[in-house]
Amino acid sequence: MAVFLIYRLVRLQIICHQSCIGLRMGSAMVPGRIVDEGDRRDMDRPLLQVEKLKFRFRGQSQDVVEDISFRVGRNETLCIVGESGCGKSVTALALMGLLPRDSVRFGSGEIRFDGESFAPSDHDRIAAMRGDRMAMIFQEPMTSLNPAFRIGDQIAEAVEQHRKCGKAKARERAVEMLRRVGIPAPEQRMGEYPHQLSGGMRQRVMIAMALANDPELLIADEPTTALDVTVQAQILELIAELQAETGMGTIMITHDLGVVAEIATDVAVMYAGQVVEYGPAEAIFNDPQHPYTIGLMASVPSLTGPRRRLSTVPGSVPGIGQMPEGCRFSSRCPFAAPVCASRPDLAEIAPGHRAACHFAPLDQRLERRA
Amino acid sequence: MSDTILKADGLKKHFHLGGGFMAETKLVRAVDGVSIEVRRGETFAIVGESGCGKSTLARLLMRLLEPTEGAIEFEGRDIAGIRGRDLRELRRDMQFVFQDPFSSLNPRMSVGKLVGEPIETHRPGLSRAQRRQEVARLLSTVGLRPEHADRYPHEFSGGQRQRIGIARALASNPRLVIGDEPVSALDVSVQAQVVNLLHDLKSELDMTLVIIAHDLAVIRHMSDRVAVMYLGQVVESGPTDEIFANPRHPYTMALLSAIPEAAHGRARTRLALSGETPSPAAPPSGCRFHTRCPFAREDCATRIPELGAATQESRVACHYWQEIAADRPAAGLTPAAGLSEGAQRRFALYEAATQATTPHPRTAANAEA
Repeated sequence: MAVFLIYRLVRLQIICHQSCIGLRMGSAMVPGRIVDEGDRRDMDRPLLQVEKLKFRFRGQSQDVVEDISFRVGRNETLCIVGESGCGKSVTALALMGLLPRDSVRFGSGEIRFDGESFAPSDHDRIAAMRGDRMAMIFQEPMTSLNPAFRIGDQIAEAVEQHRKCGKAKARERAVEMLRRVGIPAPEQRMGEYPHQLSGGMRQRVMIAMALANDPELLIADEPTTALDVTVQAQILELIAELQAETGMGTIMITHDLGVVAEIATDVAVMYAGQVVEYGPAEAIFNDPQHPYTIGLMASVPSLTGPRRRLSTVPGSVPGIGQMPEGCRFSSRCPFAAPVCASRPDLAEIAPGHRAACHFAPLDQRLERRA
Repeated sequence: MSDTILKADGLKKHFHLGGGFMAETKLVRAVDGVSIEVRRGETFAIVGESGCGKSTLARLLMRLLEPTEGAIEFEGRDIAGIRGRDLRELRRDMQFVFQDPFSSLNPRMSVGKLVGEPIETHRPGLSRAQRRQEVARLLSTVGLRPEHADRYPHEFSGGQRQRIGIARALASNPRLVIGDEPVSALDVSVQAQVVNLLHDLKSELDMTLVIIAHDLAVIRHMSDRVAVMYLGQVVESGPTDEIFANPRHPYTMALLSAIPEAAHGRARTRLALSGETPSPAAPPSGCRFHTRCPFAREDCATRIPELGAATQESRVACHYWQEIAADRPAAGLTPAAGLSEGAQRRFALYEAATQATTPHPRTAANAEA
């Protein structure tokens, strides 16, 4: 609970101050960067690569997130899927350097952004890129916009900070962004306050703000969870369009496997702070290998086909400090065996497809066992 | 099977909004002329997006709110105006499961008290020992352990709390249970546990279920018939399978085509809606959907469509549904290939293993407690 409160606080503060305090250093990045960057880009090099990220909150005996590794390329969308409490949102906050410095302890890990290497605890360097080269949108558009400022000013502020341009230029850019995210009559909307907008409109404003500086990486934390399905469809389409235009890499955090199927190029399934399965979307959906992935997918009611009794994952996620030894899923896993008391590696079972299970690939190993 | 247990006729609920000193009040037409019929033994679903009035409708049916206009009949008896003892009796036969398992249970009461309270109210003849026994029986019915009676709500996970809520609802042996988004606050894997539980209880206890939800996949899974609401009115109703295979109202089509499905590489033609739901304080004239409808014509803005029979079983409120259906033959979800072979094989493996390790699915919730 305390942890949860901390996130909320951090989220709020960051959003309110995102563009005005910590990010001055980032403004060394000059405007127009995206255009003349082609020569610098190495297409084989992933945009973002995270290696063995591991951290815990002060006073806790176990890591909240353990050995997380993944990569995101330009124009690609990585979906991080998992249920509440699996660590997907903290991971994103850590990447953005948004976790409070003095309450988090990084165990290990390396973040490589466009070839440059960062220690995850290097808040200053990460802060320099935040809001500029990488940006984030949050779940509740209600709380993540500052209710006391006009939306136009909030977007223009972000532009002004990073591009070192004048007020007028920044406002121009804000209008342009509002138009790009499909807000009608952007000049008038500039002067409105967040409470005057609907949920979907607010989320569009958030996207406009996040993308105002042409970030290379967009992290979206459950951006459509609070929205109705028809509006969700609009927002997902908008993000896809903008991604196609700018070629940015996207990390989408969600619990909705439907959304994942729709937009993901790669998927990381998280359970209790660990990545349990990772691979191309097609492999995850058509050849799921980790029992948790399978349980998760089988418990979603289907829209087509015959109605069958839903499979379930028995029990619920153990709390921090009550994790079983070895494989953290073993307490709920129907395949659990004595071997699961030792921790399985996230091993490659097919090119690019990894699963952290002693029995993967399941078909062969389980048949042999039986 | 065809006898009606609950019936609403021309049900309306208008709220007055604002109205401070010298200010004018705004009239919010949350539910505006809804007629539905729930048959005994079925699961009836009411679906719609936020602000469509589905929760208000549920509260009206339950008589937690008094309707502004219209009639509600429960087992042939008009319950729109009853109060006092009659209302209490009605509450025995008709119970409610709420959405939020965190705020709907009193944190200061033990689970035994929480579940015992409705027993005390509705079956005053039971002695204390009998009541304790009954609580234990109810707890095991919903997949909790009898010794959980001495614990407090905060000691339970979301799914378990929802089970406590269900046990409370079952305490008076109701014939009808209304669930307002009973599973939407839960994670998918836990949601599946509760969906299965409701399904089992319904057939075991011979209940009728009314489910209010926004998740169409859950609705399709649970319900026999469904009513789709938009801005306080029912726009389409009928058997669930028929509506999902062949939606007739443009709103239903859009709703169905907007849900992303958890299967890879299934391209679907999407009927995109522009804009968002207008405020129920100022609903559009004529057909309320005309401002967002891709098939809207001029007279849709002036003529109000009636909820008329489309087939024997289903009804639709659209002037042009026949022409739209002729132009767009495959509006529904194509019952496509379904899951890939690999996924199917894996699901079967998983299911078999789950069956083998948990002898009774209902005990699933006990695993961690």
